[in-house]
Amino acid sequence: MALGELVQYVVTGLLVGGVYALMSIGLALIFGVMRVVNFAQGDFMMLGMYLTYFLAVGYGVDPLLGALVAIPPFFVLGLVVHRVLLVRVTGGGDPQRLMDAQLILTLGLSLIITNATTMILTPMPRGIRAAYATQAFAVGPVLLNQARSYAFLMALLLAGAVYAFLTRTDLGKALRAAADEPEAAGYQGIDVRAMHGLAFGVGIALVAAAGGLLATYHPIEPTVAVNFIVLMFVAVVLGGLGSIPGAFAGGLLIGLVQSLTLLVLPFQLQNVGVFIAFLLVLYFRPQGLFGQRLRAV
Amino acid sequence: MKAAGTHPRRGIQALAIALAVLIAAPTLLAPAVARAEDLKITLVAPLSGRWARQGQLKKMGAEMAIAEINGAGGIKALAGGKIVLREADAGDSVEKAVSAAQRALSREKISVGIGSWLSSFTLGVTEVAERLQVPWFTLSYADNITERGFKYTFQSSPVSSLQAEQALDLILDLARRNNQQIKKAALVGDNTAAIVFFFKPLREKLLKAKGIEIVVDEVWTPPLADATAIIQKLRSTQPDIVFYGATNFPDSIQVLQKVKEFGLKTPIMGVGAWLVTPEYVKTVGKELLDNVMSVTAAHPLKGQEDLVKRFTQRTGEPFMTQDPLVTYAHVWIIKEVAELAKSTDPKALRDAVTKLDLRSGPAASALTPGRIRFDERGRRVGATPIIVQWQGGEPFTVVPAELATRKPVWHGGK
Amino acid sequence: MPGALARLRGLVPIGVVVLVALALTFVLTERYHHRVLTLVLIWATMGLAWNIISGYAGQISFGHQAFFGVGAYVTVLLVVGVRLTPWLGLVAGAVAAVVAAVLIGFPTFRLAGIYFALATLAYPLILRIFMDFLGYQEVAIPMVRDQPALYMQFTDPRAYDLLALAALAGTLLLSHWIETSRLGYALRALKENEQAAEASGVDTFRSKMVAYMLSAAPAAVIGAIYAHAILYVVTPDAVFGLLVIVQTLVVCLVGGAGSKWGPLLGAAIMVPMSETLDATIGDRLPGIQGVVYGAALVLVMLFAPEGLYWWVRGLLPARRTVPTPAGVAVAAGPAGTATAALELATDVAGRAPLARGAALIDVRSVSKAFVGVHALEDVSFAVQAGEILGVIGPNGAGKTTLFNVLNGFLAPDQGEVRYRDERITGLRPNAICRRGVGRTFQVVRSFPHLTVLENVMVGAFVREAATDRARQRARAALAAVGLDARAEVVPGSLTTFDLRLMEVARCLATAPELILLDEPLAGLSRDGVEAMMALVRRVRDAGVTVVIIEHTMYAVVQLVDRLVVLDHGRRIGEGVPGEVVRDPAVIEAYLGKRWLRHVENLKA
Repeated sequence: MALGELVQYVVTGLLVGGVYALMSIGLALIFGVMRVVNFAQGDFMMLGMYLTYFLAVGYGVDPLLGALVAIPPFFVLGLVVHRVLLVRVTGGGDPQRLMDAQLILTLGLSLIITNATTMILTPMPRGIRAAYATQAFAVGPVLLNQARSYAFLMALLLAGAVYAFLTRTDLGKALRAAADEPEAAGYQGIDVRAMHGLAFGVGIALVAAAGGLLATYHPIEPTVAVNFIVLMFVAVVLGGLGSIPGAFAGGLLIGLVQSLTLLVLPFQLQNVGVFIAFLLVLYFRPQGLFGQRLRAV
Repeated sequence: MKAAGTHPRRGIQALAIALAVLIAAPTLLAPAVARAEDLKITLVAPLSGRWARQGQLKKMGAEMAIAEINGAGGIKALAGGKIVLREADAGDSVEKAVSAAQRALSREKISVGIGSWLSSFTLGVTEVAERLQVPWFTLSYADNITERGFKYTFQSSPVSSLQAEQALDLILDLARRNNQQIKKAALVGDNTAAIVFFFKPLREKLLKAKGIEIVVDEVWTPPLADATAIIQKLRSTQPDIVFYGATNFPDSIQVLQKVKEFGLKTPIMGVGAWLVTPEYVKTVGKELLDNVMSVTAAHPLKGQEDLVKRFTQRTGEPFMTQDPLVTYAHVWIIKEVAELAKSTDPKALRDAVTKLDLRSGPAASALTPGRIRFDERGRRVGATPIIVQWQGGEPFTVVPAELATRKPVWHGGK
Repeated sequence: MPGALARLRGLVPIGVVVLVALALTFVLTERYHHRVLTLVLIWATMGLAWNIISGYAGQISFGHQAFFGVGAYVTVLLVVGVRLTPWLGLVAGAVAAVVAAVLIGFPTFRLAGIYFALATLAYPLILRIFMDFLGYQEVAIPMVRDQPALYMQFTDPRAYDLLALAALAGTLLLSHWIETSRLGYALRALKENEQAAEASGVDTFRSKMVAYMLSAAPAAVIGAIYAHAILYVVTPDAVFGLLVIVQTLVVCLVGGAGSKWGPLLGAAIMVPMSETLDATIGDRLPGIQGVVYGAALVLVMLFAPEGLYWWVRGLLPARRTVPTPAGVAVAAGPAGTATAALELATDVAGRAPLARGAALIDVRSVSKAFVGVHALEDVSFAVQAGEILGVIGPNGAGKTTLFNVLNGFLAPDQGEVRYRDERITGLRPNAICRRGVGRTFQVVRSFPHLTVLENVMVGAFVREAATDRARQRARAALAAVGLDARAEVVPGSLTTFDLRLMEVARCLATAPELILLDEPLAGLSRDGVEAMMALVRRVRDAGVTVVIIEHTMYAVVQLVDRLVVLDHGRRIGEGVPGEVVRDPAVIEAYLGKRWLRHVENLKA
């Protein structure tokens, strides 16, 4: 196979993976700080897609910008959802029982969001007709789809911003403290519950932004989450639960594996490649690529 | 156990209220009472979940036919009895679809059923209908629906394998009339049943028999991550036609976008009615769709302009497609069957279907080649597919020429 | 209460459930209602199957639908392919599922918690894709008109109710058996504290594998029944898809995990609720049923997060446990009874006697390093049979690390440990425990939701297979330490001293030859220290060698026969207490060079 072709496969995989990566960071943050498995993550992404769509169709806002505009309202939405619902099933208490409760609660939330959206906005798929969705940059023999390239860059920027926030600001450090050692953080005067709300808000805002970026080339319908929710979780676990750069790397890795699998397996088994890679990583590095080493038994 | 331990009363209250609402709801939303002589039919289709749109379109078609029939005096053989529709939501799983059919058919006396769009749903639903001996009409294409030795299942669409054979002839004929040769073909699609049944005979014998080489054969499991690899293969092999079966909407949109992005000019022949629905033009605009064709079982034909106008005015849909059209036809078939049987008894109706031979009327006008008869397997005798083409943002029937509403445009040239 | 009778009493509620289901089967008239009943029974069974690995063993799985789907596909493909009756195909499906459980369990049990759960998700997703790839997107079960019952096809819907009920009853009995068996105790122990379970002789890997296999078989059976009774056509999504595990989770977690009544309750409430919603408002206003159902899930989790079964139990008046009079008498009895109990507890047939003074444990040049820290460096010493050996040293000297190496939690980087002249480095902790090495922990590792007696029984199962005999042995161990009055309480209500006693008892129940005690005296009052020391002596007198890490110096020097001193991972002293405390290297390690000079100045 020509080098140019191989590079095309790699590039395609990375571009696809970039948006997976952004979707997954939100999930990683929520899990890392709150240990919550949020079944409804994909549905918040769907709502972000719809918001971006209405901004584009109603006000002519380019979806790349619309994705950013979606961040503040979804941050607030995340805070509200946390305060009203999640606060009852997180923080303190038997972690096993809590995870059970979170699973079902977020599942219920997912059902409500998807079905309500279907009823209110109808199941008719919609699409933003961005010109750059069907144009490509040509770099030698390699073609980079413009919409996906812009989405990738934005994803990188947003991920970088989140990472900087977590590592350089006091608030970010407080967040990480609350994640690592909630009890000790509490003694230091950090309001752990507020930190959870912050993490959830940021996590939801991020996935909504990811939805906005996705909407530059992907059709929008109430059940769109079903195509991505499994990959999101796989990316987060691959990267190492709770690691933001890990989740980003996990997302990129999935996109890459999806693309390169086509070189070895029949097309129909494309996602099998992803799941096998997933299992292999977990087998050799149970804590994920970037995660903390688990205590050996 | 903090929450429960400290507020058991609030918990009980909340659950009690929730239960009360659930119990009260049915009485608030009870269906309207129907008259004794009426013909009750059921439509089991996805009305919520991923395929809700398809089910809702079917419902629109059914409701329009019922309004027309009832408005013109109902079923004469039943002393003017009206058709009453009881729809049941098949949801998004086989379990729910079969439950819906079970529910619809055991709640009250249903004489005939229609549904369920997705071939796996149809397979399950017709099992229920067969056991309960209620005649059932479906527009699903899959061959296996009428290969089970069932007596109560009636499939109005030509089956996929037959469509493949007939469509290939139509396509070659069309190409010839446009002075185009088809020497290389591509098969691009997912592995859903209808597509598999269509591609199989093409791959195994039909194309070879016509001396056509298969240069690309890519089948994926939905959802498709990225279409680049496929389009690149098309670009490098330059087939004369691409048979295209992407039934998952986001996958299909992706492929069309990439075709534009890579500047491919190959004629695209879709396999199924999913490719010629309004959501396509609403999502990607008419440029990407221009001259894309699809093989389908039904689409508004020459002479049905009035019907289409009534439909679009009634529903607000920009145009009429297979799903509402065929369901409309099914309801009219049912009307004629009831006239023939002079009864609402499902067994009598089933026998009447086997004797049915319609050559005119709204149902016969909708389904090519204009005659409605069913063979012992339940397949419509002589059913042929048609080719629909997007032109200027709307799909039109282009082949066969005598039923076409527009002339076909062969999208050729490299 | 004697075990056999307790077991039989436990069957009564199962009988009641079966009778209720039978009554419903014959009372309901509408076909659709029978379908709802069949669905309730099916999902309850699937929930029970899931509960075996995820409830009892605490290994939450998101991939149980793999077995469900295997059962469905194997059975149906055998019907379609070779016309094999599904009554036999069921068995094939169950066998295939058990094999799958072994193949999946082997690599995946290395993971824990959410990693395990998400890893298990990958398998059914892979199978789903493969089924599509192999051309099995829609496998319709051929309708058999001649002798349909032979092919599990019935016109009377009650037959399906009975079929599902049979599967449910079987799985209930299986669950019941597990709960009261050795496996059940092992699972509960490893769920509560996997390390403590290993140290108490539970082969955690084997227990998990057995539980997984036992949970796979009923899932496959019910998957096959589901295909025939409910689906009629098998698609990869219908049996390997997320909806299956979602339904299982809803049924189990809303009902309450960890108990066999949880999935029953969850299925009995949620399945009819879902169907009722579909039937009433769903057909009229499609989508609303999803909103209401979702809201119901949210509400239940807000107000009863541990599940409805536990919530209801929490509302009932708490069951009081009264200490048995017999237990009190033993504790108050003469020391002779306690000694007899001790001998019973530590009695194990077939163990070759070891000459007193022979090396029981031989530590040879053991080194262990963690990132940047040499926890142990070239440590060598021997433990003689019948002695009480003390391991002392300043904080961070590596004493607990040494214990972790001795009983198998850590593998040394270099060197080896030999027990009765058999190499034990590299063995899992439970294997080392079985060979006769017991261990207590610096911070007591109890099984919080088990009673004291049940905690000790976990250890007793090393020597006894039957629950009754394990209980006897456990009682003897409790009597030996004087804790039998507290047998029926949970560890959470014990004092530190009693907790330590419980851990020693659990150790004794494994009939050890040697016990590793990690700071058993820390935090105890003067009286407590005296009592604990007396116990240690009694244990040694009964023939058990003791190795003890301690900081409480005045006690250690009275208690031990010999001392080994560690500092910064090295062995810096060994010998009788009188010599060791005068050893300059030891003094220097504890007090530093300056003090040593002071002492030497004093001497001079």
